[in-house]
Amino acid sequence: MNALERHRRLSAIWASEPGFRGWFSTVNHNDLGRMFLVTAFFFFLVGGLLAMLIRAQLATPHSAFAGPEIYNQIFTMHGVVMMFLFAIPTFEGLAIYLLPKILGTRDLAFPRLTAYGYWCYAFGGTMLLVSMLFGIAPDSGWFMYPPLSDAIHSPGINTDFWLIGITFVEISAIAAAVEITVSILKYRAPGMSLDKMPIFGWYALITALMILTGFPPLILGSVLLEVERAFGLPFFQADMGGDSLLWQHLFWLFGHPEVYIIFLPAAGVISTVLPVMCRTTLLGYGWIVAAAVALAFLSFGLWVHHMFTTGIPHMGLAFFSAASTLVAVPTGVQIFAWIGTMWRGRPELHLPMLHILGFFVTFVIGGLTGVMVAVVPFDWQAHDTAFITAHLHYVLFGGFVFPIFAGIYYWLPHFTGRRRFFRLGEIAFALVFVGFHVTFLAMHWVGLLGQRRRISTYTPEDGWTAINLISSVGSFILAFGIAMILLDVLLHALSAGRGRRNPWKAPSLEWAMMTPAPAYNFASLPHVTSRAPLENDPGLPLHLATGGGYLGTPRDGRRETLTVDIASGRPEMLVVYPANTRLPIVMAAITGLFFLSLLLKFYWTVPLALVGVAALAWRWVWGLGMQEDPVPQPIGCGLEVPHAAAVERGPGWWGSAFLLTANATFFGSLLFGFAFLWTVAPGWPPPEWLTPSWGALILGLVGVAAGSLGMRLAMRQNRRGAAPSMGLALALAGTLALAYGCASLMLRAPAPTEHAYGATLLVLGGYGLFHAALAALMVVFTAAQVRRGFTSRTRRSVFSITCLWTDYAGFTGSIVLLAAHLSGLSP
Amino acid sequence: MRDVVRIMLAPLLWLAAFSAVYGLQGLLCGHDVTGSIAGLPLPRVILIAAYGLAIALQCGVLAWLCRTRAAVGSRFVGFVSRATGWTGLVATIWSLFPVALLSICG
Ligand code: HEM
Ligand SMILES: [Cu+2]
Repeated sequence: MNALERHRRLSAIWASEPGFRGWFSTVNHNDLGRMFLVTAFFFFLVGGLLAMLIRAQLATPHSAFAGPEIYNQIFTMHGVVMMFLFAIPTFEGLAIYLLPKILGTRDLAFPRLTAYGYWCYAFGGTMLLVSMLFGIAPDSGWFMYPPLSDAIHSPGINTDFWLIGITFVEISAIAAAVEITVSILKYRAPGMSLDKMPIFGWYALITALMILTGFPPLILGSVLLEVERAFGLPFFQADMGGDSLLWQHLFWLFGHPEVYIIFLPAAGVISTVLPVMCRTTLLGYGWIVAAAVALAFLSFGLWVHHMFTTGIPHMGLAFFSAASTLVAVPTGVQIFAWIGTMWRGRPELHLPMLHILGFFVTFVIGGLTGVMVAVVPFDWQAHDTAFITAHLHYVLFGGFVFPIFAGIYYWLPHFTGRRRFFRLGEIAFALVFVGFHVTFLAMHWVGLLGQRRRISTYTPEDGWTAINLISSVGSFILAFGIAMILLDVLLHALSAGRGRRNPWKAPSLEWAMMTPAPAYNFASLPHVTSRAPLENDPGLPLHLATGGGYLGTPRDGRRETLTVDIASGRPEMLVVYPANTRLPIVMAAITGLFFLSLLLKFYWTVPLALVGVAALAWRWVWGLGMQEDPVPQPIGCGLEVPHAAAVERGPGWWGSAFLLTANATFFGSLLFGFAFLWTVAPGWPPPEWLTPSWGALILGLVGVAAGSLGMRLAMRQNRRGAAPSMGLALALAGTLALAYGCASLMLRAPAPTEHAYGATLLVLGGYGLFHAALAALMVVFTAAQVRRGFTSRTRRSVFSITCLWTDYAGFTGSIVLLAAHLSGLSP
Repeated sequence: MRDVVRIMLAPLLWLAAFSAVYGLQGLLCGHDVTGSIAGLPLPRVILIAAYGLAIALQCGVLAWLCRTRAAVGSRFVGFVSRATGWTGLVATIWSLFPVALLSICG
């Protein structure tokens, strides 16, 4: 088979449906990555437009441009759109498009999940846009503090759009994070051990892990606040045992890591692009990885620095002030590694490099003002002034937008296969750079003069007029620059001439394929022996195109790829991907129905939507079953590996494990909330404690044991070749008993609308009940698979997945039951 | 997975210790713990003991990382895990230092 023939056969296997219909059924990371990026940039424009409205309003005193109600919506939506609908999805899109190419494989771990995540993002974002068109957008600031955002002070539907819409969008972040984590750990080219992984892979891995542990507190906060608004459970009302500070803790437990979730991928782009621009290799690879890991962890210990002015005891303040100054160290290590790289190489001022220089200047200034506000006494002066907004834009624009522009210009030839012919981009960069600094330097200044953030107007006597005007003029220059970049990219995509492959002479694998990338990426998978595969072997692209690597022979119309051992990169199993399907978009739509029903208070459609999601999820995994035992598969180069259906821990197990990591953070935050309210909130002790029921407690705990034992028994029976019915029956009985224990706790919780104690017990019980029911459903699913002959001694992966989920339900369920009953004993 | 966990161990321990000491401080203040041991106020003694324990644990982890470095798959993982091990130790000493000096509640 020659290269062209192979290309035709692979394309036929991997292609999405032709025309726009393909958008709805594609599961390919090439398509979905592009769709993510285009949508995210659409939202960047929306957010930018809102920023222009803000600056138009603030340009002059006594502005009559927008009243305070509308202005509140404008700045809130600006922040929300930029953070949730632009920055995070841009990372997701870039990672989804690039990772399989950089890692030398054909697609991400769970293609249908990629599509589901995209559609959740698109639908959730649309919900927020619609709210804006109707003038009922969220208006309590992007961090939505209660009591301002509770039902008493914000009675309209505005806040609900935020709580429900953002939670919907977060699903896509969690989905993408699970996907990215598993892909980086398992879906790499053979031979690519951890130390040979391109640096972008490390950054993306760390970011994805941070999303898995950073977003759940926010999701919890949103759930609690929405439940308070809709049903009156007083989690944040101080007079009823709640505490509005709980929201601030939960929000910033997410919010500070979020800043690094935004910065780290950008740093990954810089670490990839900078060495190529300087014609050298990255200095201190190991140091950078260590610094990124350190940064990720430290960033979880900083959240209280957003709450320095809330009356927290001195010692608490000092902990977080110390930790906040500490992050400067790993950030510094990265910056010095980059400077060292430039020093060692010969920097060439291509357009991506200009944006990287823009990043350096801007981000370093942002970092310095950051250290300033980490010092408590200074923060007390600057808190909630325009100085803070200026600081955060230096970090976000400098640390994210400039690097992303660098990345876009760097990978543009890869996206399109063309080369630039205008110099429009250089002028645009100059405008953006100048415009940005004029706008936000001025805002530092006016902030120090006392201008608070989020004010819709001021008087001439305040003395801020000239500076604000300068700032607004700057922002319009900035907007003009961004519009030019957009134009440049469009012109490039539509009309530039064909370019040659790998125009930057980059060393990494994404340039070892034709551009624009074919749906299957690599005609055969490379064997990686160094961190710069393309540099060491310039003949690699040809070698791969002619089928010299792994999986070079298309067979049976299957989309195939390999997974590897995490540390060593030794080939481990053969994965066959599902093909195009509309299941993800339908499932996202039904998920949307669930959220929409909550929003519009159509409570009778809520259970319908839940049943719909469950049924679709059932179909989703059912289709993976096989009737016969797969034999070991030849993968070329004289190797054979088992099929993914014939191992103990298949891709589904890994996906579940990381999803449960996120879930466990959610649960941990819930326990934190319980402990926080109990020890800190003013309105305690509650008027009435739970009356413990020994029957329900013991039944529940016995159920936990039975569930775990039952699943283990079922696995043993299956391994011996016997029918696992005994074990599954025991597991089912156990999970149902646990469900009963939790349901009874919910019913016995003392008056949940009267005091936060009862409300918390209700939510804890609900959490336990939901997971017990889910585990029961999975046991039933396993039994159905057994009956249909989808399992055997070899095809056993469904058991380990179900076991994981029953164990998790049991673990959290017993904590729920014990915590609730112990609290009942406390008086 | 072992290698990845090795890299994350020390910072994870720092995070746990940091949260635990912060929580402990909250508890001590929330429950108005008083009394004294050897002339020092009881809450201070408890907090400093926790601080010492956290540092000891970090030292233990770091020692373990250095001792077993020959056993890991690659020199790279050995290097990065020792670097994060030092990070954990330094971060523990620096960020929890206030327990020794500052007023505990208020
Ligand atoms: C395109 C250029 C941008 C301009 C001219 C701009 C301008 C502004 C201004 C003037 C405010 C203050 C509103 C007030 O206090 O009344 C603001 C707030 C904010 N901006 Fe931007 N911004 C830009 C880009 C971004 C980007 C890229 C991000 C994030 C990735 C971002 C995130 C935020 C956030 C989170 C707030 C706080 C919103 C709130 O107080 O609720 N902005 N922006
Ligand atoms: Cu922060």
